[in-house]
Amino acid sequence: MRLTALDELAERLGLKKEQGVAEARAMYPTLEVAEEDPAADRRLLEAIADWCDRYTPLVAFDGKDGLFLDISGCAHLFGGEKALLKDVLSRLFYMGIDARGAISSSPGLSWAASRFGQGGVIEDEETEQVLMSLPVAALRLEAQTVDALKKLGLKYVGDVIDAPRAPLTRRFGPGLLLRLDQALGREEEPVSPRRPVASLSAESRLIEPIGTEEQILAVTRQVALSLQPSLETRGIGGRVFELVLFRVDGRVFHISVGASQPLREPKFIAGLFSERLQAVYDDLDAGYGFEILRLNVLRHDPFNAAQADFEGDRQGEISLSAFVDRVSARLGADCLQSFQLRESHVPERAVITVPVMDHLPRRKAAQDIQPPFRQERPLRLFATPEPVEIMLAEVPDGPPQIFRWRRMQHQVARSEGPERIVMEWWIDGDDAEARDYFRIEDETGHRFWIYRRGFYGGEFDPRWFMHGVFA
Amino acid sequence: MAQHALARERLFALRETIARLEGKPAPALAAAERGALAEGGKTPRRASLPPLAFGVEYLDEALEGGLPLDAITEFRSALSRDAGAASGLAMAVAARLQKQESDAGRLLPLLWVGDAVGTLEAGRPYAPGLQDFGLNAERFLHAAPRKLDEALWLVETAVESAAFSAVIFEVRGNPTHFGLTESRRLSLRARAARRPLFIVRQAGAEEASSAAFRLHVEPAPSALRPLPGESKLSGSIGNPIFRLTLEKGRNPAPLCFFLEWNPHEREFLPVAEPNLVRPPGEQSAHSGAQLSASANGPHRPQAMGALLAFERAS
Repeated sequence: MRLTALDELAERLGLKKEQGVAEARAMYPTLEVAEEDPAADRRLLEAIADWCDRYTPLVAFDGKDGLFLDISGCAHLFGGEKALLKDVLSRLFYMGIDARGAISSSPGLSWAASRFGQGGVIEDEETEQVLMSLPVAALRLEAQTVDALKKLGLKYVGDVIDAPRAPLTRRFGPGLLLRLDQALGREEEPVSPRRPVASLSAESRLIEPIGTEEQILAVTRQVALSLQPSLETRGIGGRVFELVLFRVDGRVFHISVGASQPLREPKFIAGLFSERLQAVYDDLDAGYGFEILRLNVLRHDPFNAAQADFEGDRQGEISLSAFVDRVSARLGADCLQSFQLRESHVPERAVITVPVMDHLPRRKAAQDIQPPFRQERPLRLFATPEPVEIMLAEVPDGPPQIFRWRRMQHQVARSEGPERIVMEWWIDGDDAEARDYFRIEDETGHRFWIYRRGFYGGEFDPRWFMHGVFA
Repeated sequence: MAQHALARERLFALRETIARLEGKPAPALAAAERGALAEGGKTPRRASLPPLAFGVEYLDEALEGGLPLDAITEFRSALSRDAGAASGLAMAVAARLQKQESDAGRLLPLLWVGDAVGTLEAGRPYAPGLQDFGLNAERFLHAAPRKLDEALWLVETAVESAAFSAVIFEVRGNPTHFGLTESRRLSLRARAARRPLFIVRQAGAEEASSAAFRLHVEPAPSALRPLPGESKLSGSIGNPIFRLTLEKGRNPAPLCFFLEWNPHEREFLPVAEPNLVRPPGEQSAHSGAQLSASANGPHRPQAMGALLAFERAS
C-alpha cells in the first residue's frame, strides 16, 4: 500500500506521495491513513463542478482533482476577475474545501500558477515572468519528460522558454513545446465542458432561500418570463428545458422536462415543471433552501406562431400536445406511445412503438396506405407467444381440434388457415422454423390466433403457440 | 293545505336535485330555460350532446338514443378469457365514433390506457389488427402507466384535455382504489369536457359506479363469410359477434341481445339467430372452473335483477 494523497500537515512532516504506508508508519506511528476511494473522490469533484455552474456554464474536469472554468464574459457579473476568484475560493473554503485557483488567459498558465505558483489573477503581460520561475512540471508534462529535463539541468520553465526549439523537439518530441505554447497562450487550447451548453439560459439569484414547491414554481415562472423575449427575438421555442436548483449548502439538482412542440409561454413552461416536480419533489431534498434557480433551454426548434385556420382543428392539436407534455413530464416519455407500421410480415416486427412526444399524430389524414393483402390480424397480440398444449390436431398441417391453454381446454368449432409465415432469413438465419398461423374459434365463440412452429415428421415434434386474440 | 303545499315544494326540490345529479334537465329548470329563450335571452349554456347510436333500432330505443358521449360507459367481461370480446366491443364503438367524427371533419386521436396486468393477460393492442378492425392505427395512442393511481390520473387528465375522441381505460378486476368515488370524479370530468370515457373491465364483478351504462360482453360464434349471391361460406370465421347484456341503464329489465360488428362499413348489425353450437353461459364439455379474477374478498354469487344498488366489490 502506498500513499496517494497527503494533507498539509503530512507534507510538512516530509512524507511523499508514492511512499509505502509501512515506511511512513515507521517514521510516524501515529499517522492516520484512510483508504483511497476514487469513486467517492469523483463524486465530490462532480458535485463541486455542479456547484461551479453558478459562475459559468462551461465547467470542465481536469484530471482527478481539478476543474477548469471558462469565465469569458462572466467575470463582470461578479465584480471583476479578482472578486470572482476570491468569491470562489472563500465559498469553497467555508464549505471545508481547500482550493487554489488562478485566472489567466490560457488554461495551461492557470493550471501552472494554481498548482505550482501563487495563484491569483495573472495579466497578459506578466505571463512569461510568472512562468519563468515555475518548475518544468508546471507545464503538464509526463513524468518521464520531467525527469529527463531535470537530468539535463533544465529545472525551471525559464530554462526551456528561450532554448532553441528544434533540438528540444528532436530530443523530447512535440509534446513539450506544445505544452509550453499552450501555457504561453500562443496555442489555442479548448476546454470541453462536461455538460451540454444550453442555447439559452436565465437565472434568478434569491436573497432569501426558497424551499417549497409553490415557491420554486413561482420563481420558475418569473425566470421563464425573462427568457421569453430572447426566445422571441430568435424565433424559436424550447423543446427541452432544464431547471437547475442550487442549494444553499452547495448541492445542485437538475430537473429536465421535454415538450412535444416548441414552447415559449412562461405559463406552459412552469406547468411542465409543476408536473415534473409532483413526481420528483420527494427526492428533492430542499434542506435549507435553494438560492439560485436557473432555467436552461437545452434543445430548441423554430417556433411556428399559432395561427387559427379555417378548419378550427388547432385547439384540439394544442390541447393534445399540452396533454402529451404533461404526461411525459410526470410519468416519463415512454409512458405514451403510438404505433408505426413496418414492412415486415413477421407479426411482432410489423409494428414498432415510438414515444408520442417525438411523433405527434399528424394533423391531416395521410392517404390510407392499403396494407398488402394478408389474412386478418388479431386485435391484441401477446408480447411473448404462449405455449399451447395440443391434445388433438390434424397431421401434417391441419388446425388443432382440442387444445389446452392457460389450464383451460378448448374445443375448436371452426378454423381458418394455415397462413404460412416464413421467418426473415436475413435476421433469423436460414434455419429458423416457419410458422403456420390459424384463426380459430372455439365452441363458445372465443377467437384465437394460434401458430405451429416446425413441421410434423421432422426431427423434433412441432410446438404450438398462442399469439393473439381476436375480438 | 299549507302543509300539503310545503310537502309538494319539498318534493319538487328533491326531484330537481336528483335531476341535476343525473345531468338531466329538471322539469322546472327546462321550463325556466324555455322561458328565457322565449324572452330572447341567452341560449342555454349547454346544448345536450347527441348520443352515439348503435344503428340498431331496438337497441338504440332501449338506450334512449345510444351511448352518451359525455359520460362513462363500462364494458365488462366476467371472465378473463372474454377480455378480447370486451375490448373488441369498446374498440368497435370507438371506431364508429371515429368515423362519425371524421365525417364531421374532426380528426381526433384515440387513447387506450392499459392496465399492466390486464395487458399481460389479454395482450397489447396490435396496430395491423386495429386497422383490420376499422380503426385508424395512426391516431391510436397507447399508454402504459405502471400503477393504478398513475393510470387514474392519466385518464382524468386525458378526459379533461378533450383532445381525444374517446378514452378507453382497461382495468382488471375491481381494484380497491377505483371505486365509486373515483368513477364519480371521472364521470364529472367527462361531463365537463363532453368527451366519452369507456371502461373495459376484465374479469370484474358488478359494482356500483357512475357509469351511465354498463354492458356485459361475451363472445358469440362469429358470422360466416358471405359469398357472392346470398350464400355463406360454411366453416369460415367472418365478422365478430358479441353477446351483450345491458346490466345498468335506465331500462329496468336486463336486456340481452346479439350484435355483429362489420369492420369495413364500421357499423353494427343486429343478429336474429346466431349459429350457436351451445347456448352461451352453459359449461362446455371440457371447461375448467369459471372464476372471476380474485379481488379483495371472497367470490360471491352474482346478484342481478332485484337488487337496486350493489355493494362495493372492490
